[in-house]
Amino acid sequence: MLKLLNAYRRVAFEFRDYRPARVTLASIDEWLAQHERTDRALLLDLLRHVRYVGEVEARRALVDQNKAILGQLQRAGVPYKKVIYVQVHDAGSSSPVMLNELRDAAQLIQRGCNFVDSKDVAGIARLTERLGDGAIIYVDDFIGSGHQMIGARNHMMQYAIGSFSEFALAVCICEEGAYDLTKLGVEPRARYIHARADRPLHELGTVFDAAKKQRLIDLCAAIDKKGGLGYEQMATMVVLYRNAPNTCPRILRGSQGQSPMKGLFPRTTDLPVSD
Amino acid sequence: MLTRRLRAVDDQTASVVPSGRLLQLRPDQLKPNPNNPRRLFDPEPLRELKENIRQHGVLVPITVYQLKAQEKFAILDGERRYKCCVELQDEGLQIRIPANVVEQPTKVAGLLYMFSIHNFREQWELMPVAYSLRVVMRELGEDNAIKLSKLTGLGAKQIERCKKLLDFPEEFQQLSLDPDPTQRIPANFWIELHPVLALYEQHLPDVVEELGRNGITNRMVEKYRSGGVKSVIHFRRILEAFEINEEQKSTLVNTLRRYVAEPALETREAFDGFLAPKRGRIQNAIKACEGFIEQLEKARLDFATEDRQTLIAKLNHVRNYVISLVDRLEGGDAADDENTS
Repeated sequence: MLKLLNAYRRVAFEFRDYRPARVTLASIDEWLAQHERTDRALLLDLLRHVRYVGEVEARRALVDQNKAILGQLQRAGVPYKKVIYVQVHDAGSSSPVMLNELRDAAQLIQRGCNFVDSKDVAGIARLTERLGDGAIIYVDDFIGSGHQMIGARNHMMQYAIGSFSEFALAVCICEEGAYDLTKLGVEPRARYIHARADRPLHELGTVFDAAKKQRLIDLCAAIDKKGGLGYEQMATMVVLYRNAPNTCPRILRGSQGQSPMKGLFPRTTDLPVSD
Repeated sequence: MLTRRLRAVDDQTASVVPSGRLLQLRPDQLKPNPNNPRRLFDPEPLRELKENIRQHGVLVPITVYQLKAQEKFAILDGERRYKCCVELQDEGLQIRIPANVVEQPTKVAGLLYMFSIHNFREQWELMPVAYSLRVVMRELGEDNAIKLSKLTGLGAKQIERCKKLLDFPEEFQQLSLDPDPTQRIPANFWIELHPVLALYEQHLPDVVEELGRNGITNRMVEKYRSGGVKSVIHFRRILEAFEINEEQKSTLVNTLRRYVAEPALETREAFDGFLAPKRGRIQNAIKACEGFIEQLEKARLDFATEDRQTLIAKLNHVRNYVISLVDRLEGGDAADDENTS
């Protein structure tokens, strides 16, 4: 009993600043209570594999990686004023928020860096034409499949004039996204590269034995038959303080609208619409 | 050819400087050029090239430059060979690509390189081409279509189309830059609208005075979005109606006035009535084409000697006329949807 209580406390403490829904002893209890008694230990075990990134860690990760990129650019003779930071702007995207935080924490304005939204294609054309060469850094908190970022990047880069090195800066980048970005010549830079093998419910995950893994996959499928393991079946286990990615399994996020199944880490778009 | 083009402009701004290095690179050491306007590759020649590379390797070196602060080399020339090598590598073949390393090109040199080495230009999307062309025009202070055609290898007609696009204020260009293709106004919309705006300026100066050119453009955008312009090619029906209906000019002008004033008035609904009685002329033209070829074939001219020079001159005259007419009739980019609903 005491062991279980300690596990609850540890979980509640670790996830304390999750924004879309507060994680408390009561919410953990409520989440577990929805499931069969026999599954609860397994679910708590799954929680141990969640890679949670709180606000402070997220900011530090971005600032540190950014510092490394800027250092690399300086050594190659690329001055700050030739660096363009890009926010990949889409509904619900964390990119603008992350870029704002990085901008202030790393004093990017004072350094003379440039900022642009990936949708502002004319702005990108103007800015790159003026600079001629330099570096472009795409910023986000999490890059999963990379589809969203790559789509935005490919569209805007048709209009870029000149020669620019490209970097994708995020707190966490999944192996799949990192691979596709690298193929395009965009260098992925993150505190944590989320490998497929590290994801207990991923096809290639080896964290749990086959029976436990299948039981958890079934629980996800019971909530969402097709998308139980998240976008593209990626089954990622990273949860950021601002939101859980859409690649996160449904067992952690709960049902759309949080009914009939509540999640411990619902995405903002999973929450019911309040009156 | 390219060297000649590059020589045609100031060496300081446009030359690509070889570094004297020839490297053997793996495909993963290369970065495809993100603003390569040639985004669609013809699959059949690509397959042939791939098989050729599988058997003999890459025989002609690609051209690359080293990106600043990155280990990769950006491709200036050799995108197709690179694409084939990536596929061969994915199939498990260990492959090296010979690469001539040049210095990082200047803006204009990079653009002219891109324009000159990619010759399937009909596949290019028009907006990025127009934006790149604007830089070339600005940097070189050149806006003569023929000179620009010589520099870039783009057809003079395509340059004119780009210039029409760039003629619209940026607020309108932005509508064709939307990353979401369902929201994007096709580049052709502006090109087809351009002469219609000229009609307003010519026949309805009071409307232009009242709404402004941008105001009329805005109304046309609204009309397009609400389905009042079912296909951008339908703007030509307005021009056609004006061209062939001299006697009904005042009725036509009134219809043109209604067309901008009434958002729900659809293009064909408004102007097809002026075209219907004259439809026979198209059939006549089709018959004339058929008859012309038939007569020439009948005359068996392959070995004609008498008046040969005059005949050649006349045929050239016909050819030039036909090419220019076909150009005018075709218009349109493969990449731009016609929005036929």
